[in-house]
Parts: sequence; C-alpha cells; structure tokens
Amino acid sequence: MARPTSFGRDTGLQLRMTLTLFLLGLVYAVLVGVVFASGYSWLVFIVGGMFLIQIFASDKLALHAMGAREVTPQEAPQLHAMIERLCVQANLPKPRVAVANTPMPNAFAIGRSPKKATVCATTGIMELLSPSELEGVMAHELTHVQNRDVMVMTIASFFATIAAYIVQFGFFFGGGGMGSSDDDSPSMAVVILVSVVVYVISFMLLQALSRYREFAADRGAAVITGRPSALSAALMKISGSMERIPQRDLRASEELAAFYIFPPHAKQSLMNLFSTHPPLEKRIAALSRLESQLQGAA
Amino acid sequence: MGLFDIIAGKRKLARPAPDRLFAMSTAYVTFQTELSIATRGVAGIVFQALETADFEQIAQDMIEVVEGTSSDSGTTVETRDDEYDYRWMILRDQDFDDLVVGVNAVSGALEAGGYGDRILCAVFAFEDARGRPLYWIYNYKRGAFYPFVPGTGDHERNHERELRLKAQIGAELPIEGELERWFPLWGIPI
Repeated sequence: MARPTSFGRDTGLQLRMTLTLFLLGLVYAVLVGVVFASGYSWLVFIVGGMFLIQIFASDKLALHAMGAREVTPQEAPQLHAMIERLCVQANLPKPRVAVANTPMPNAFAIGRSPKKATVCATTGIMELLSPSELEGVMAHELTHVQNRDVMVMTIASFFATIAAYIVQFGFFFGGGGMGSSDDDSPSMAVVILVSVVVYVISFMLLQALSRYREFAADRGAAVITGRPSALSAALMKISGSMERIPQRDLRASEELAAFYIFPPHAKQSLMNLFSTHPPLEKRIAALSRLESQLQGAA
Repeated sequence: MGLFDIIAGKRKLARPAPDRLFAMSTAYVTFQTELSIATRGVAGIVFQALETADFEQIAQDMIEVVEGTSSDSGTTVETRDDEYDYRWMILRDQDFDDLVVGVNAVSGALEAGGYGDRILCAVFAFEDARGRPLYWIYNYKRGAFYPFVPGTGDHERNHERELRLKAQIGAELPIEGELERWFPLWGIPI
C-alpha cells in the first residue's frame, strides 16, 4: 500500500468550518436567550413555520426561478451518462438532472437530501466547457449534494432569518411604541439591538461558511474525478465568460447564489467578507495544491 | 455518512466495499443450468485513468499480473479508453472462472497501487438463449451486482428483464438493493 488515498487531508478547512458553526451557535444562543427572556418567543414559531415551508417547497421554486427543466436520459444522454458515472464514484444515488436554457454558463444543485437532489446545468455551460471540465463542475455540484449543503446552509441561517424578521417587525411594531414609556419598550429595544448585532455577525459567519463549503466542494470534485486541473480550467473559462456575457439573464434570487458553481453577481473580490464564494485565485490555488498532492510532488 | 461528516463536509471517496466479486463464479452455474444464459467470454473493468506519473506504470503492471495469473488459462487483455475518458481493461477468456479471477487481479493491482478508489465497476457480458446481450455490473463501492439489459432504442433499457433477472437469480448474488443505483453504462465496448 504505497498510498491509502490519492489526496492528503484537509484538517485546516474542517477546523475552520467547525469553528464557524460553533461561533454561529454561540451567537444564536445569545439571540434565543434574549428573545425568550423578552417574551417574544412566538416570533420563533412563526419564522419556524415559514422555515419548514422553505425547506419543503424551495426546490421547485428554485428550479422554476432559474427556468430549468428536468431532462430525461434520452434528451440529454451525455449529461446523464456523465452524472451516472460520477454517482458511482461518489457512491451517491442518482439525482434528478435538469437543464436551464440560458447562455449564462453556470450549474447548481438543490434538494434537502441526496435522494431529493436535483443538479442543473445551463445550456451555456454545456457549450462552453469540454467534457472533462464539465465533469469537474458536475462533480462539484454532486459534492454539494453529498455534503447536504442546501440543508446545512438553510439550517445554519435559521436564526439569522429570525433576527432579520425581528429587526423588521421590531421597527414596524416596537418602533412606534419606542417613545411611549410602558414597561415593554426597553425590552423590545434591547431585542432589536441584539437582533441587529446577531444578524450582522451571523451574516458574515454564514458567508464564511458558504465559502468554506465551496472549497470543500471543489476539493470533493477533484477527489471524485481525480482531475483537479480540469476544474481549474473550467472555473477560469466560466469566470472569463462571466465578465463578457451581460447579466440580463440573471433572474435568480440572491439566496440561490450560494449553490452555484460560480457566483452570478461576482464583483471582483473587493469585499471578501461579504461574498458567498471564495475568490477565483484562491480556488485555483487550492486546486493546484491538490493536483500536486495527486502527482506526489507535495 | 455521519452527522460530523455532513457538518465538516466529507470529501473522501468511498473505499471499495468488502469484495463479493467471486459470488459471480458460483452464480454462473445457475445462469448456465437454469436460465440458459451463457458468457460471451469477455469481461471488463472500468476505472478512471489518472494522469499521474506512477499510474501508467501501475496500469502496465496490471496487464502483466493478469497475463501472469492466466498463463495457463490463456486470458487475453486489451486496454481501451471510452468517450467519457474512462479506461477499460477488457479480458477475454472462454472459461468464466478465469475471467472472474482476472478481473479480481486487475482490481487487486489497482488497490495495491493506491488507486482502488478509482475503480468504477466491473462488467460481465452474457447472452441469453436467443443471443440477446445482457450485462451484470459489479459496483465495487457497494459490493453489489445489478443487471443491465440494453433495450431496442437509443439509451433505452429493458427494465422488465432486469427485474426478472434479479428475481431469477435470487439470493445467489449480492444484488444492489436500491434501484436508483442501477446505473446504466452506455456504449459498453464488450
């Protein structure tokens, strides 16, 4: 046994991801504590209900928003066959396969569990990339499915959503009563203040988490296909054409952005802290580290 | 996959499951005697050919291993890359047991070289009494077999016959339990 696996470990990434989730939990614990102490706990249940609806209904909505349509193996034999082989490699059940008819080169995966997952490629990406590059992109999406990233991100953002609602509701209801001096007002003000702080911090943590999970999906794609450089080439091609193709076709909502292979609203990494995806250079650098591990040079 | 794998984002390929490949040798007796299904004398093992320095050497060694184990059985080996960039090692031998041994030798050599997780599957080609092709595919990651019968049309498969085969062979083969993992393989070169 010269080498048990083709790639090294990524302890650093796992640590950062776990730390981010831990910090999120901490921030959320503060929020929940304050909300329950103030007696506005019914808010949690309202948002909880909406949250469940989101989990169970978002798939179809998202596909519809993207103008994507599920395709049969007869309609897209190459794409199906490619995904089937990747599924065998990744030890996943086969997801549904959809195609969105838009020149924007992109791909995304949705679905709360591997059995309910749908992976979608745009016609633009299928024309732009070579088969091995497209394979890298689809493997990236399948890793999102395998890591249950939709579920993880939705759950992780649950309390951030609550905080956002409290801020909105708070200004709506409590904001008017702020001037009057009944006993509840200070408590509401505190809740709003805490919510604002929680929202800002958790937003940044969530974006960090999203970036880590992109790195993880890039890595997973490299592991599944054994060709990190093909994914690098795909990312460079996509980002190159992203800048050239006008964005008139982007009807997708912002929440979906985290699940794309490449962020549709990529402003060059001015504000890394507020971005769902790591900058291209860092993704390429991580992939080329994997390539050298694979080649046994690292 | 555990909760921690989900939280931390699992990025490892599944290792091959415990090897149940040799169940095919015993099942073949039933194929022949009860189902009049005969081997086409050919089997293939499919894997991703990585472009690393040592991979080509390992692939070369594999061919020698197979030819070595089968010096008296006369298995021939042929390598082919398919349209999806996967590599097929195609073994030909009229003796079915030798085919299974040969396939096992290839996968063993890949695993010894550290590339066991690159194996996609092994495929055994058969035909029924009327000469129609059918395949049994062994998924290494799952340690299970499933039948694959191409249909008449393009990218169509004969699910009915596949399910019937599953019922006929019963407990003799470890069969993939989840139907959504009966992945077809189009353009099988054997």
